[in-house]
Amino acid sequence: MNHPPQPHFVRPCTRIWLVLVVLTAVTYSIGEAGLGGKNVMLFVLAITLIKSQMIASYFMGLRKTSPMWRIIMGSWLVIVGGMIASAYLMGLQ
Amino acid sequence: MPTPSITLHNHKPGAPPGDLVIWLFIFAELLAFGIFFGAYAFSRSHHVELYNQSQLLLNRESGAINALVLITSSYFVVRAVAAIKQGFSRECANWIAGAIGLGGVFIVIKLLEFNAKFSAGISLSTNTFYMFYLSLTVFHFMHVILGMVILTAVMLKARRGGYTPEDHTGVETGASYWHMVDLVWIILFPLVYVIR
Repeated sequence: MNHPPQPHFVRPCTRIWLVLVVLTAVTYSIGEAGLGGKNVMLFVLAITLIKSQMIASYFMGLRKTSPMWRIIMGSWLVIVGGMIASAYLMGLQ
Repeated sequence: MPTPSITLHNHKPGAPPGDLVIWLFIFAELLAFGIFFGAYAFSRSHHVELYNQSQLLLNRESGAINALVLITSSYFVVRAVAAIKQGFSRECANWIAGAIGLGGVFIVIKLLEFNAKFSAGISLSTNTFYMFYLSLTVFHFMHVILGMVILTAVMLKARRGGYTPEDHTGVETGASYWHMVDLVWIILFPLVYVIR
């Protein structure tokens, strides 16, 4: 028996928004708990870069563009993330 | 055979949404913020204790609420673009109005935060951390205001029925800029308010 296609009750962009909200809450909770150190920094930075990539790909629509645009945005994120991480590690020495 | 509406709608296959010029502007802005973020991070590496102590006096709730506010306003703008692609001008304008409203919430929260800092005698010259905190957040604040001005112009045109499913580059242009404003805060918040 064939079932008619089910309507999408939750749009993909709504799911992305929800994930962004949850990840922001995680970042905030880490701050509230007063957690610090290399591993915490790397975890927070990873969450931040995932959120940034989600905004660039799904909200800004770069996932449907030619590779050049994605490479430019991806490079910016990697460079900014790399600077933040390496500067943090320098501060530990 | 392609219809004229199709040629009007999408400029170049593979190009990002909106006017190409706004993308040059967006990447120039991201470059400036990237340099700013790097300068903050490397300055912190020389004054770790000062930065960690000063960061404790920031209002993390404000920063987090503002992150949620901008993420949600970005989502509203996504819905506005989706609405105009289906030809719903009024709905598009309403979603943009919501995004502008949330931009206003961001502004109010930020002004309260600035006021609390200035009342406590904190200024650009207090220490290096506050110099970066104030200049970075004020720089971003000005981008929020510019984004709201752009979105207001788009909203007014949408209300007049100035966009169609075939020709709505203006909506996508304003949306792309607003997402950039959100993206910058997504990085600024953990960098300045959380990482220690």
